[in-house]
Amino acid sequence: MTIKGVASIVGIYEHPLRIAPDKSTPQLHYECAQGALADAGLTFEDVDGYFCAGDAPAVMSMADYMGLTNLTYFNGTDIGGASYIAHLNEAAAAIAMGRCKVVLVTLAGRPRSEKPQPRPQGAEAGWETPYGGSPPNIYALAAHRHMHEFGTTSEQLAWIKVAASHHAQYNPHAMLQNVVTVEEVVNSPMVADPLHRLDCCVVSEGGGAFIVTTPEIAKSLGKPDVRLQGAAQAIKGQNGGRIDLTYSGAVYTGPKAMEEAGVKPSDFRYASIYDSFTITVLMQLEDCGFCEKGKGGAFVADGNLISGQGKLAFNTDGGGLCNNHPVNRGGLTKVLEAVRQLRGEAHPRVQVPDCHLAFVTGIGGTLAVRHGAASAVLERIA
Amino acid sequence: MSYDQIPAPAINPESKPFWDAAAEGKFLLRRCPACKEAHFWPRTICPLCHKADTEWEESPGEGTIYTWTVMRKSPRGPFALGYLELDEGPRVYVEFRPEDHDALAIGKRAKIMFHPVKDGAPMMFAQLV
Repeated sequence: MTIKGVASIVGIYEHPLRIAPDKSTPQLHYECAQGALADAGLTFEDVDGYFCAGDAPAVMSMADYMGLTNLTYFNGTDIGGASYIAHLNEAAAAIAMGRCKVVLVTLAGRPRSEKPQPRPQGAEAGWETPYGGSPPNIYALAAHRHMHEFGTTSEQLAWIKVAASHHAQYNPHAMLQNVVTVEEVVNSPMVADPLHRLDCCVVSEGGGAFIVTTPEIAKSLGKPDVRLQGAAQAIKGQNGGRIDLTYSGAVYTGPKAMEEAGVKPSDFRYASIYDSFTITVLMQLEDCGFCEKGKGGAFVADGNLISGQGKLAFNTDGGGLCNNHPVNRGGLTKVLEAVRQLRGEAHPRVQVPDCHLAFVTGIGGTLAVRHGAASAVLERIA
Repeated sequence: MSYDQIPAPAINPESKPFWDAAAEGKFLLRRCPACKEAHFWPRTICPLCHKADTEWEESPGEGTIYTWTVMRKSPRGPFALGYLELDEGPRVYVEFRPEDHDALAIGKRAKIMFHPVKDGAPMMFAQLV
């Protein structure tokens, strides 16, 4: 059994706000849901599946708030910022099983305006939580090891930010719209060795949503049919202390999603790659097979990720590095820009000509302690 | 970096023997009698082979630095995190003491130590040797 071809993305919405001091978090979710349903040409009454993650109140609270009275399926899988890519996989599986037909996925929050909710802690808490490690220093641990093993340089990592900034200049909603140079990235203040301030994503509010449904319903809506052709998810932890920081969980999910879709890395000219930090992109590119392990630095250098210039355009909205990273969770906006590319709705300056195949991949949680990974292959069906 | 600003570790019945030993300056691992492997952080059922009840053993806590980073700014000042690869095998996520910040390097030898944090509770750190 496969999820290949059983589900299509018919509605997308990205909240235009980057700071939202005067709204509530459920309100932002609701606004995003409204936007995605309007884009699809569907109504709240049509929604029979609802998926959200840890940025939302509990799924039953959100469903009640939005008046979702026709739900036959719901899901609260939380693997941090990659949750919504996993939700694609899970929504397609639910649709394939006939559990629901129209799935709404929302993300929203206000990390600048309100304190994040403390999360339930696992057995590891005693040995980890007191240090107060946070994404920048925990991702830095993987970056340092990558440099040690493969000779990756700060300048190579910087090219990832440079490419994102080239795209963000065309996005009027992007938090950072200035094109930056490699020198500016490596000369920005060190946050956590070896990651500089400009190796890190933005911290933003707002959110987004998308709608997944059956190809039959997609056809009836008259929207471009953006079909899910392959998907996979995985968790990578410390494995009792045998953790190997040279790879991420994308080593499992990237190849698996591509295999299900029957495609290979060289088939893609566009990829949405979760960019919490520059190192996150570099490791996923290697792990998903876009280049050999250890060669990510050479792959991203010299503008190879810049649309119209390099071989693989990435995050043409400016990504988490420049555009938007709502609630410190960048997976959902990765899906949105892939759909825009496949519909031909990306900004003309960054649109990949006749983009019919897009790869989406993300890592949520913390790269060097434990994380979830999820990947998906999307194809525009003529 | 002030140790007083680090909260005490959460302790549960499964982890209590580790922290009781830590209060005496001893570093404990758990090892599986079935697969013979030591793991970290300690679990009563082996996370590697899932078979046997594991057993406590005292460790010198020595090993080599697998990776490290210094967080340059935080509410409690700069602090260094890393993984120490113990001679017994497990790579342990640990904070390196402030005195060693400028000398950290992958491959250097280091060892586990304990230092009081908030409310005098012992917490695990590492120092260069």
